[in-house]
Amino acid sequence: MNRRKTIAIIVTAAAVLAFAVVVYLMQLSATVAGNLMTSVDEISRHDVETIEGSLDNSYARLNSVAERMDVYDVRDVHEAQEQLNLEAASSALFNAIYLLDADGTLYSSSYVRIAADDHAYDELMADGREHFVMLYDDANGKLETTKESLIFGIRLNDLRIGDTTFVGLLGRSDLSAISDQLVIESFDGEGVSSVVNSQGYYIVSGNAATDLSGRENFYDMLEAGYIEDGVTIDDVRQNIAEGKDFVINCVTATGEPLVMSFAPVEGTAWSFIMTVPTEVFNERFAPFIAMTVGMLGAMVCVVSIMLALIYRFMKQSVHAQAEAAARTEFLSNMSHEIRTPLNGIIGLNHLMERHMDDAEAMAGYVGKLGKAAQYLLSLVNDILDVSKLQAGKVELVNEPFSLEALIDNVCEMQREPMADRGINFTFAADGVRWPYLVGDEVRISQVLMNILSNAVKFTPEDGTISMNVSQVIAPSGLAATTTISIADTGCGMTPEFQRHIFDVFTQERNKNSESQKGTGLGMSISHLLTEQMGGVLSVESELGRGSCFTLTVTLPVDPAHAGESAEEAARERRAFEAALAAAVPAPAADGSGEGEPAAEPTRLLVAEDNELNADIISSILSEEGFAITVAENGEEAVRAFSESPEGYFAAILMDAQMPVMDGYEASRAIRALKRPDAATVRIFACTASTFTEDRNRALASGMDDFLTKPLNVTVMLKKLEAVRKGGPR
Amino acid sequence: MNAFPLASMPLSRRRFCALAASALVLAAVPGAGCAPATSSAVHLVIKVPRTGHDVVFDEDISQVETVIQAMADDFAATYAKEPVEVEVVVFEQNQYDDAVAGCFDTPKAPDVLYGDYFNTSTYIHTGRVVPLDDIVTPDIRADLFDHLAAMSTVEGRLYMIPYLARQNVLAYNLEMFRNAGLDRFIAEGQITAWTLDEWTEILDALAGSLPEGSFPMMMYAASSQGDTHIMTLLRSAGSSFFDEDGHFNLSTPEGIAALRWIQEGVGRGWFPPHAENLEIEDCSSLFKNQQLAIYMVNNASLTRYGDTVGLVNFPGPDAGGCATTFSSGFEVFDNGDARKLQVAKDFITFVYESDHWLDYAAGTLPASKAVAERYGVDIPGYELFRANADNVVDFTGSNPDTRAVREVFYPCIHDLLMGSTTPEETAARIDELCNQAIDEGRAASVLHE
Repeated sequence: MNRRKTIAIIVTAAAVLAFAVVVYLMQLSATVAGNLMTSVDEISRHDVETIEGSLDNSYARLNSVAERMDVYDVRDVHEAQEQLNLEAASSALFNAIYLLDADGTLYSSSYVRIAADDHAYDELMADGREHFVMLYDDANGKLETTKESLIFGIRLNDLRIGDTTFVGLLGRSDLSAISDQLVIESFDGEGVSSVVNSQGYYIVSGNAATDLSGRENFYDMLEAGYIEDGVTIDDVRQNIAEGKDFVINCVTATGEPLVMSFAPVEGTAWSFIMTVPTEVFNERFAPFIAMTVGMLGAMVCVVSIMLALIYRFMKQSVHAQAEAAARTEFLSNMSHEIRTPLNGIIGLNHLMERHMDDAEAMAGYVGKLGKAAQYLLSLVNDILDVSKLQAGKVELVNEPFSLEALIDNVCEMQREPMADRGINFTFAADGVRWPYLVGDEVRISQVLMNILSNAVKFTPEDGTISMNVSQVIAPSGLAATTTISIADTGCGMTPEFQRHIFDVFTQERNKNSESQKGTGLGMSISHLLTEQMGGVLSVESELGRGSCFTLTVTLPVDPAHAGESAEEAARERRAFEAALAAAVPAPAADGSGEGEPAAEPTRLLVAEDNELNADIISSILSEEGFAITVAENGEEAVRAFSESPEGYFAAILMDAQMPVMDGYEASRAIRALKRPDAATVRIFACTASTFTEDRNRALASGMDDFLTKPLNVTVMLKKLEAVRKGGPR
Repeated sequence: MNAFPLASMPLSRRRFCALAASALVLAAVPGAGCAPATSSAVHLVIKVPRTGHDVVFDEDISQVETVIQAMADDFAATYAKEPVEVEVVVFEQNQYDDAVAGCFDTPKAPDVLYGDYFNTSTYIHTGRVVPLDDIVTPDIRADLFDHLAAMSTVEGRLYMIPYLARQNVLAYNLEMFRNAGLDRFIAEGQITAWTLDEWTEILDALAGSLPEGSFPMMMYAASSQGDTHIMTLLRSAGSSFFDEDGHFNLSTPEGIAALRWIQEGVGRGWFPPHAENLEIEDCSSLFKNQQLAIYMVNNASLTRYGDTVGLVNFPGPDAGGCATTFSSGFEVFDNGDARKLQVAKDFITFVYESDHWLDYAAGTLPASKAVAERYGVDIPGYELFRANADNVVDFTGSNPDTRAVREVFYPCIHDLLMGSTTPEETAARIDELCNQAIDEGRAASVLHE
C-alpha cells in the first residue's frame, strides 16, 4: 500500500468518523432538547393546573360570600356594604368585595358606590358566563386602588337585599399578594413562569409591578428584542388570543436568547408562559458533549492502540516470514554456489585418479583444480565480507591515498578482460582537483572493481564502458565529495531487478547475457561498504541499453597535499588520463572456436554453463565412451536437441540453473517438441540445489532423474550405463 | 402542541454548531447575574420609588422617576471626570426594604436613593448614608428652606438633601357642608382652622345630615399607609405627641382625650362603619366619589378637586390647628467603593448646581428658594401652604426608625376603632410599642461619619 493510499484511507476514515460524531451529536442535541421541552411542557401543565385551581378556589370563595350574604340579616344596601366590609376584612384573598345590582351600580366593601355609567365590570358577564377573572384595568372603571389587582366575578341568582336585586359579586385581590403563590421557578431557578393577558400585561411575573403605573407589557419586551424563525409578534398575539399552545425562540433586548412555551389558562384570555434561557438547554447538553467527546476519544485511543498492536504484530510476522524466506534463499544460494566449485573439484579429483600417470593431463587438471579452489576461496571471502558488513564488524582504514593511483590500479586490473572482449573504454576526470584523500583505499578499490568487472562482464563485444570522476569541495575546504560513475552499454537491468540489485545473492538472469559468473555478492558488498563509508551507491539502468553505477563518497582531503595548486592538479589529471588511455588497449580481434569431439555410439547432451564443470563432465563421460555435446545454457540445449536427428541423444544432463534459459524451462521445451524422442529421451537434472522442492520441481518440468552436485561419478556412470544399455527408465 | 413547528427546535443548527464548538472548548463564561460589570466605567445605581409627580411647566411629567431618569441621563452624558454608567432602578412604595437594605453588599446596592424622608430616614441609621455637608456649598445651603433642611439633619449633619416637600392638611366638601348647614365654617381661599368643639359640632352635623352611604370624615387603620395623618389627629386635644426626648407621649390627659374623641366619633357616625378595615385609598375613593366630607390633601393633590373643596388644618393644640409636612430628597450611600461614592456625590452636586433640574420640583413645594421664587405663582396653593408653614408639626419626632414605629402604631388604632381597647389602654400601648421601636432604633443606630 503506498503512502497516498494510506493517507486517503486515513482521511476517509476520519471524515466518516467526524460525520458520524456530528450526526450523533445533532441527534443527541435533538433528544436532549426534546426531553427538556417535555419537561417544560410538564411544568407548564402543572403550573397551569395550579393557576386554574387557584382561580376555581377564588370563585368558590366568592360563592361562599354570596351564600352568606343571602343568609345575613341585612335590611338594606348600607348594611350589606357593612357586611361586605367585614367579609373583606376577614378574607385572606380579597382586599375588597363588590355587589353588582341589576342596574349596574357597584357597591364596595369600603362603602364606595360606583354608578353604572362609571364602570364596565357588569359587561364582563353580559355574555352569560358564570364567572370571570381579569387583570384590573382602570379603563373598566376606577376602583379604590392603584395597585395591580385581579378582579374576580361570579354571577348571582338575583340576590335580593331590601329593594335592590344583585346580579353579581366581585372580589378584588392585590396581585402582589397572590402572584408569589403562582410564580413557580424551574430549572434551578433559571426557568420562570409568568401569565399575561391578551393585551400582554403580566398577571404573574417574577418581577411584576405592583402599581398600575409601573406595569410592564410582554409585547414590549418582545418588541425590544426579536423573535427567531420568522415568527412575528402578531403571530404570538394571535396565538394567545386563540388560546393555542406554542413555542418560540426569542432574544431579549440585552441579547439573552430565550425559549418560551405558551399554554392557555382555561376559562380566561390569559396565556401561561414558561420562559427558559437557551443557556439552560446548552448547559444540559454540554455534559453530554463532554461525555461523548471523552467516550469517543477513549474509543479512538483504544482502537488506535489495538490497530497499532495488530499492525506491529503483523509487521513482525511479515518480517519474520521474510527473514525465514531470506534465510532459506540464502542457504539455497549458498548450497548452490559452494557445491558448484566443489563439484568441479570432485570431478577433477576423479579424473586425476584415473590419469595419475599422464603428466600432461594431470597438469591440466591441477590447473583447473586451482581455478576451482580460487573461486571457492573468493566465494568464502565474499560471504565473510557480507556477514561482517551486515554485523557492522568491518573496520575501515583511514589513510592517505591517491585517487588517481587507485583508479589507475582498478582500470589496469580490467585492462586485459576489456581488451579480450574488444570493449571501448573512455575515461574523464575533469573535475578531480583534490586527488589526495584520506580513506580506505582497499575498500574503495573493491567497490570500483566490482562495478567495473560487472560492466566488463555484461558488456558485449565492441561495447563501451565509460568512467567519469568529479569532485566537489565542502564549504570548509577540508573534505571533498568524489563522484565516480561507470556506465556501460551492456544488457541493462529490469526495473524490478534494479530494486534488488544490492540484495545478497542477486544476479539478473539476463537472457541477453552469456555469462553469469561470480558469487552474486559483489554488489551487496559494494553497497554495504559504501554505506559504511558514508557514501551512496546508486544505479540507473535501462534494459538492453546499459547501466550506470554511481559511487558518491565524501572523504577528508589529505592535509599533506591540501596546498597543491589547481594548475598542478590539472596537470596531474591530464597525465593521469593520458596514462589511462594508454593503458587500455584497442579491442582485440575475434577469438577462434574449439574443435569438435569425436563421435561416439551413445551420445549425451550436457547442458552446463560452468565451463570447468562442463569440461570435467565431458572428460569423464568421454573416457567412458560416451559422445558428448555441450550446451552452455538451456536454449542451446533445446536447439541442439531439436536440430539433432531423431534418437541422436540417448540422454541429457541438464543443469538446473543456467543463464538465458534454465534447465527446468529447457526440459519442458524439449518434452514439448513434436518428435518421438522428445518424450522418451532421458533427462537427468544436474543441480547443486538439493532441497526436496528442487527435486520436485525438476520432475515436474519433465526430467526423469536427479543427479546432485557435486556429482557422484559412480552413481552417474551407473545410471548412464543403464541408458546406454537401453535399460528401463 | 407547537403552532410553529420550526420554532419548536430550541437548538438550531447554527446554534448547535456554535454550541458543539464551544462545548468542545468548554470555555467558562462568567454568569451575568450578580457578576460585577467588566467595564472600567463607574456603575452608579440610583433607586427611586414609583411616585406621582407634577411639574408646572411640563405636562408630560406624571411620575418622579421620569425626572430622576432624565437627571441621570444628563449626568452620565456630561460627567467629565471619568466614564460613568447610571442605572435608575424604580421600585414600588411598599418595597423599600427589598430595594434598599435588601440589596446591601450586592451589585444592586443603591448608591443614591431618592425618597420621602419618613421612609428613607431609617437607612441613615444603618451607617451607610453619608452626610452631605462636604458637598453642600454655602450657596446650595442658602438656597434650601431651613425647615426642610432641618428635618433631614441628624446630629448636626445633613444626611438627606431635600428636593421638594408636601404639606398635608384636610379638605372638606363644600357642597356637603352647605347641605348640612355648615356654611359658616366655610372659608374659601384660605387654610382655616376650627376648635375641637367646632370639629365636634361639624362632624355631628354631617353625621346627621349626610345621606345613606356618605360619611363625615376619613378614618382607616387597615395598614400603616396614611397613619401619619391619624397621628396628627392625636394632637387635637392639645397633646404634644412627643416628649422632649422624642418618645411618644400619649398617656397624658390630652393624648387620651384625643383618642377618646376618635373612639366616640365611631359611635356618633363620624367615620365609615368598621373604618378599622379601611385603607387610606378607600377614604380617598369615598372623598372623590362625594361620599366623604372631610379627607386629607396636600398642595400637589389639591388640584384634583378644583373648587369643590375648602382647606382646614388638623385640629391642634392651638387655634391655628396643625398641618404636617414631609420632604423628599436624595441620600448617598457608602458601599465601600470610594470611586462610586465620589461619583454619587458629584451627581448630587450636578443636580443642585443646575437650575434646570431643580426647577422640576416646581409642582409641589420646592426645597429651593430660587425655584419657589421662579415658579411660586404657578404652583397651586403655593402661597397658602407657605403661609401655613408655621402650623406644621413634625410627625416623625426625629426617631431613627420611623418605619418600625408605623408598623406597631396602626394596630393600636385598629383596636381602638373596634372598641376592643379603651383610650387609656390605647395610649399606653402606643407609648409602649412605639417607644420600644424608637429605643431599638436608637440602639441600633450607626451614623456614617
